[in-house]
Amino acid sequence: MKVKVVTNILEANERIAAENRKIFDEVNIFVMNIMSGPGAGKTSLIERTIKELKGKIKIGVIEGDIAGTDDAERIEKHGIPVVQINTGGGCHLDANMIREVLEDFPLKELDLLIIENVGNLVCPAEFNLGEDMKVMLLSIAEGHDKPLKYPLMFQESSALILNKIDLLPYTDADINKMKKDSLSLNPKLKIFDVSCKTGDGISEWTNWLQSLVK
Amino acid sequence: MHEVSIAQGLLDIAIDNCKKQGYEGIESIRVKIGKASGVVPDSLLFAFEGMKLGTIAEKAVLIIDEIPVSGFCKSCKKKFTVEEKYVIVCPLCGNLSFQVETGRELNIDEIEVF
Repeated sequence: MKVKVVTNILEANERIAAENRKIFDEVNIFVMNIMSGPGAGKTSLIERTIKELKGKIKIGVIEGDIAGTDDAERIEKHGIPVVQINTGGGCHLDANMIREVLEDFPLKELDLLIIENVGNLVCPAEFNLGEDMKVMLLSIAEGHDKPLKYPLMFQESSALILNKIDLLPYTDADINKMKKDSLSLNPKLKIFDVSCKTGDGISEWTNWLQSLVK
Repeated sequence: MHEVSIAQGLLDIAIDNCKKQGYEGIESIRVKIGKASGVVPDSLLFAFEGMKLGTIAEKAVLIIDEIPVSGFCKSCKKKFTVEEKYVIVCPLCGNLSFQVETGRELNIDEIEVF
């Protein structure tokens, strides 16, 4: 006896992501999911973003890591509402994890919610959280072969932040190849060359982000 | 990636549907997996064989229909299908403005029950 089912296997995550989306729309908050491999500079970028935009828009941050509270502690020092999610082994955040911490934020008062995903160039791209935009980082130190090796994340993102440009003189990384290959995967990708260490390029990034939030 | 949790997900949905319809066991589960979904069919099969033990799907066969990547080009106004997992330009006219229509599926289609 055949029974038609016709259901998305990841239906549970998609359903919760849609519920999150509804909450975000109701309180008029812009939600950004930041992804990258470990150590590319997600937390540093968030810190630089907070420093530039703190006086202009109200920001909240959700930190995602397998273990530890290092990243949330760094954000806390900026006086920004932040919650740390520990997945305990999971390699990406999912919509349910986000839903469970939303009540810890004064959502109606915030303009921008930044979600820092678990450091991983593979899985986060596959799991919708209900965000407005996915953004990714790639650092100069990771090498110019990464775009073609990890295509999905580049294809799912609206913006690519090329971080640690201050290291260009010390590595063999070809930044033009990084850009060319990234754009070949996703011609609509907005690319920003930055150094979270020196501050180079940060204001181009934050001006663009601010224009999306307001 | 995550073939184990996907196998668990499809088993949960299949078992739930089987019980709700009033049947005792599952003979087969047909799934549609898009070529660009990121799921590796062999890995999914392997995970499924392990996860089904001890459930009413213990004897079930997993049938995987692989869906190719296809789309519609807004420039040459034609539908296309490709062998690859990713489309970067329209394979017919080389333009960038196309829409991918199939290839990202991760669906459980039907179950055969007894």
